[in-house]
Amino acid sequence: MSFQKRLLSGEFVVLAEMNTPKGVDTSQLIQNARRIKGRVDAVIVPDMDDGVMRMSALAGAVLMHQQGMEALIHVYCRDRNRMALQADLLAAYALGVESLIVVSGEDICNGDHQEAKAVNDLDELGLFGALRCLEQGSDLGGSELTGAPVFSVGCAIPQCADEKSLECQLELAAKKVEAGAKFILSPPVFDIGRFQAFLSKAKGLKTPIISTVYLLKSVGAARYIATNEPEAGISEELIRRIRKASDRERECVRIAAETITALKGLCQGVRIITLGWEHKLPDVLEYAGL
Amino acid sequence: MITAERKSMEELINCVSPYRRLLLVGCNECVTVCSAGGRKEVALLSSALQLHFMKEGKPFEIKEITLERQCDPEYVEELVAHIDSADAVLSMACGCGVQEIARRFKEKPVMPAVNTKFMGASERQGVWAERCAGCGDCVLGLTGGVCPIARCSKQLMNGPCGGSTKGKCEVDPEIDCAWQLIWDRLKALGMTEKYEENMPAKDWRTGRGAGPRKIVREDLA
Repeated sequence: MSFQKRLLSGEFVVLAEMNTPKGVDTSQLIQNARRIKGRVDAVIVPDMDDGVMRMSALAGAVLMHQQGMEALIHVYCRDRNRMALQADLLAAYALGVESLIVVSGEDICNGDHQEAKAVNDLDELGLFGALRCLEQGSDLGGSELTGAPVFSVGCAIPQCADEKSLECQLELAAKKVEAGAKFILSPPVFDIGRFQAFLSKAKGLKTPIISTVYLLKSVGAARYIATNEPEAGISEELIRRIRKASDRERECVRIAAETITALKGLCQGVRIITLGWEHKLPDVLEYAGL
Repeated sequence: MITAERKSMEELINCVSPYRRLLLVGCNECVTVCSAGGRKEVALLSSALQLHFMKEGKPFEIKEITLERQCDPEYVEELVAHIDSADAVLSMACGCGVQEIARRFKEKPVMPAVNTKFMGASERQGVWAERCAGCGDCVLGLTGGVCPIARCSKQLMNGPCGGSTKGKCEVDPEIDCAWQLIWDRLKALGMTEKYEENMPAKDWRTGRGAGPRKIVREDLA
């Protein structure tokens, strides 16, 4: 069953994020994807995540399709103007991509091509407008299309530093839902209590929420997030648990799996982000009983 | 200078109509030079607005003041004596001036009366043209004093695109091809070797690439 159908039928969807290579050697990506084939509903291919130049998400999605796996891709406005966005959206649909996630994209100055000029011709809502336009059979210039795409589009709510910025993001998410977002990806979940509080605030959006689970790779990674994003809710107890484990990597996998298990009854799915450890996905799924 | 053009009367009437007492603020700097928002334009706009609301039979009071520089907090402070007697401020300065008033008087709605256009020069009476994009890394020394970023429609850095005809840009025959101007000027100066040099891909961080910019002069701050 496709991701869209599972989402519509209210089933718990499992998505795994997989980054494309920085280069043309796709063997690792394909190998990692094959290991989880049939165990996730779809793969999410980010597009130059964190502002790091790498193979395009569209190419990654096509590679996933070649393995018989469904793929969703990120779309955002930093690197493409409205013409390039529309062209790539038509290409994506023609190549079998039916689901998209509209994201804001990391700023150029935080990536690995800091001297580049960001485009930002449209913003996220403008991109939703372009999608709606294409789906209605014309482009933003008003010309008729030969065949219109039909996408299932989601959006994401980022980690918010305080209540005020969360309020602002929820307002923006409401606009995105009105503009056509069919599902919402949550900020990373490290604390179920905090996530439940988030869910109760996001309830008004009346849109399926897909939670996000990070695979913490080390005590250092957990400590980094805890220090720099205290609002994420990584507790000292969690950090201690990783530190005291005889096999820290396995403990991190267990923590991610336990979080996924706890989320099953709470929301409509999970997006697993391994922060470069895609090879650990089978273990995370195994421990989570997926 | 920073150039600007006054907004249409229709737009201005629409934005000030919710208010009864308006403070109309001009600026003696760039917008005076480009005849968009100086003392004279303040007086003209004030009369036009008063006439409009008088015809509509709507009570409307307007106070005019023109500051030396609206982008300078020192001069904006002069509005303290007038701000309380106004429901809103309509600024005829560039976007910098509007924002400075909004920053200083947080409780007061501030609206722009002009559209800020570009950094340019006067070509002849009543004609201003874009000259500088404020990229933060000036290359005019290499390009014969003609800016390829502000004046080439495609912002090309290493020669023309092939779309120019008889020295005019393919975007608009009224626009000079910046690279034709650069080449002619380098030739006249005997500096064509500058044209041979390949300029590397531009680092846009000095422009808006790294977000809103700020200059901090330690010796003055």
